[in-house]
Amino acid sequence: MQRSVAAGGLFAAGSLVRVSSDQAGGPSTNQETARTTTQSETRVPAAIFDGKVVQPRRELPVLQKTSILVVGGGPAGTAAAFSAKRLGADVTLVERYGYLGGLATGGLVLGIFPLYDRDKKQVIFGIGEELMKKLDVLKFGIIDRSKAPVYPTIDAEAFKYVLADMVLDSGINAYLDCWGVDAIVDGKGAVRGAVFESKSGRKAILADIVIDCSGDGDIYAAAGAAFEKVKTNIGLISRIGNIDEVDLTVGRGSEDPEHPVTGKPGEGRPSKGRVNDLNGHAGNSTPAPHVNWLNMKGPVGDALDIADLTAMELKHRRGTWGNVEKLRQKPGNEQVFLAETAPQLGVRLSRLLDGVKKLTVEDIRSGAKFKDVIGYSGAYANAPEFQIPYGSLVPAKVENVLAAGRCISADFEVADITRLIPVCWVTGQAAGLAAALCIQDKCKPRNVSVTKLQNLLKQQGAYLG
Amino acid sequence: MTLLGRIPRRLIQLTCFVGAVVLIWPVLPWAIAPRFFQQASPFVVLASSLAARSIGVGAILALIVGVASSFKKRWFCLYLCPTGFLLENASRTGLRKTRWWSKCPPFGRYVAILTLVGAVAGYPVLLWMDPLCIFSSPFALNKTTNPISAILVCLGLGVLVGGTLIFGMLWCVRICPLSGLQDMLFSIRKALWTKLTASASSRKFRVARRAFFAGAGGALLALWARRIGAARYRTSDTLLRPPGAVPEDRFTGLCIRCNNCVHACPTKIIYPDTGHEAGLGGFAAPIIRFDRDYKYCLETCNACTQVCPTGALTPLGLQQKNKYIIGEALADNNVCLTALGKKECDACELACPYDAVKITWDEEQYIAYPVVNEKCIGCGACEVVCPTTPVKAIRVWTQKPA
Repeated sequence: MQRSVAAGGLFAAGSLVRVSSDQAGGPSTNQETARTTTQSETRVPAAIFDGKVVQPRRELPVLQKTSILVVGGGPAGTAAAFSAKRLGADVTLVERYGYLGGLATGGLVLGIFPLYDRDKKQVIFGIGEELMKKLDVLKFGIIDRSKAPVYPTIDAEAFKYVLADMVLDSGINAYLDCWGVDAIVDGKGAVRGAVFESKSGRKAILADIVIDCSGDGDIYAAAGAAFEKVKTNIGLISRIGNIDEVDLTVGRGSEDPEHPVTGKPGEGRPSKGRVNDLNGHAGNSTPAPHVNWLNMKGPVGDALDIADLTAMELKHRRGTWGNVEKLRQKPGNEQVFLAETAPQLGVRLSRLLDGVKKLTVEDIRSGAKFKDVIGYSGAYANAPEFQIPYGSLVPAKVENVLAAGRCISADFEVADITRLIPVCWVTGQAAGLAAALCIQDKCKPRNVSVTKLQNLLKQQGAYLG
Repeated sequence: MTLLGRIPRRLIQLTCFVGAVVLIWPVLPWAIAPRFFQQASPFVVLASSLAARSIGVGAILALIVGVASSFKKRWFCLYLCPTGFLLENASRTGLRKTRWWSKCPPFGRYVAILTLVGAVAGYPVLLWMDPLCIFSSPFALNKTTNPISAILVCLGLGVLVGGTLIFGMLWCVRICPLSGLQDMLFSIRKALWTKLTASASSRKFRVARRAFFAGAGGALLALWARRIGAARYRTSDTLLRPPGAVPEDRFTGLCIRCNNCVHACPTKIIYPDTGHEAGLGGFAAPIIRFDRDYKYCLETCNACTQVCPTGALTPLGLQQKNKYIIGEALADNNVCLTALGKKECDACELACPYDAVKITWDEEQYIAYPVVNEKCIGCGACEVVCPTTPVKAIRVWTQKPA
């Protein structure tokens, strides 16, 4: 299992630290914070050979050995970790940022959407519903629950709290501020774990099954799984304070002649191509009073290109500040302030897996029913609610890895729906349970008993139609 | 005639009645069947051909009926007309069989003259009085989605049946323009047959005077209606006609309110107008409204254009229909969820079958909003998926003539 890790040759002479899982489970109780000593690192840095920068071959310390490794602690990753842990599996969860929740918290994607079918019936339950129930009991935790077709809106901090609380109590080995950078692959091309970069250096976590919830499919891509790379809009969500969301369900007057309201037929015909600035009704209400979250579509960019990402981080923050200044110029909005821009860019899609089953827009339009259904997505725009098959989580070729979240196997148009928060909960939970079944039944992800998986999903409250 | 004479008249009538229902329903797997029903009326075909300045294949049927009627007086009424059959039965069970109207002049032929002269001016004024159109209209009942539409489609036949129960055969004998036209055809044929020998009697003079006034009235009404129709269209923001509709100044005249298009529409977005959109002249003529969830003018359908008997809706192939401009979609960025940063929404862009709506990022304003390009035909797919209530952020508006 460790063949590729412990390969000989030019390797670092650094001490190989093995951390036991109980030690990794929580922060050290040892209060040695004030001690400073002069140390020199014993690692071999990258070097220049023949004018090229070369990373010397080296042995990586194994941070953890685990049954199920979940890379990414967003909606999919947390759902996968919780569901697998409940089956008694040994689960390790690794997250790049310093908090859990991914785009639902750090991305400020606070709208929990799409949850409902066309008849306004909720079709997403399971872990997602549990999380929302935990938010229900918190003050300022969640609003607009069970008000279909209006979607619930959560508070990012409340959700971070809920996830932290659950992870601390769950017995999941969690590593935060820890960035999955590579897959560990054995001689047969099967995934055996992943490599992480953190303040502790580059380390390996060995696992029987890896669930790639990185959003960008970083791990399956590194392991050699085929994928489709897509580019779409990248925005940056912000929260603005001292503003009250205007309720569009109530009739509005057209007091502003420059921006007439198209209330009655024959009134206020908008002219073609006219551009309006934000007119004071910007953003949507959140559980926090007088605070709106302000979505941003953003320009099309490559989420795997650091130049694009850097440009967006900078320009979006400048643009958001400018829009808030414009908002303040509207009478009544003088006190509006920018509370925060999201810590994470709103990357919508980057890699899409080539899975056992690619979910296509034709499947959705024809209302395809799958034998290996693992859950539903709610209705979105003209797409009705649709089934998600287990096959869309399994790579076509590479073994021992599952995808969940926005990087599953779907064509671009479908992925534009499956990337949304509640659908990530659905695919995450299914991937977690499937991985746990792999451990139980000693089988490959593609050979998991669909009947058992569906039964487990139902036991955990998931909706399968 | 002699062959038909041996079969009981009521049996022929019943057969025709059933045949009419089969055609209109349509039970046949032939989608354009309904239009051949109204095209059996020489009145409809003559007036609409004059108004549209074109003639279709369906005219053959009307020609046969017209020629037959010119030899046997009111042959069509007596044997074929399903409205006549219905009203005949109604008059038998009627409350009173008053004949006070027997001294009335034959309005039917003046209605026909007025309409035909109007048709020459491009607007067949009273073409909607054709009995076959009135008969077929209520068949659209199963495609109406509100009580007002249901009343509108049943109004014509309801009035006729109700009137006949009270007044007997007033309609058929004195008012129906189709019977009036048949009478005229018969007289003309007879006159040609015997040659015009006798000098004009005072009665004939009176008839000619009435015919002249009817014709002049038709022309004036037609021109007036065309003017207000055009004006209405220029000022209206929401008047949307089904695909293939001729320009608005002629549409309400050519449209005979047979409701074939309402009946043909699979998504039930065609409504008989209450007069709210196009005024009295457009009363009960079809309009399109996008007020049903997810129901728009399908890119896979051209049914309504195929069933129009008068050419008020030009027959269009599917590709042509998908280029016919019903209206234009315009987005209001002060309602749009995306422009206001309220939600993650690109419903309109996803829904558009013609690639005409793009949520576009505006680097200067630093917001995104829907931009509609010239591919838009106003099918309404964007409007019906737009999640804002009660006002849709993107709506189809009348495309005003340049």
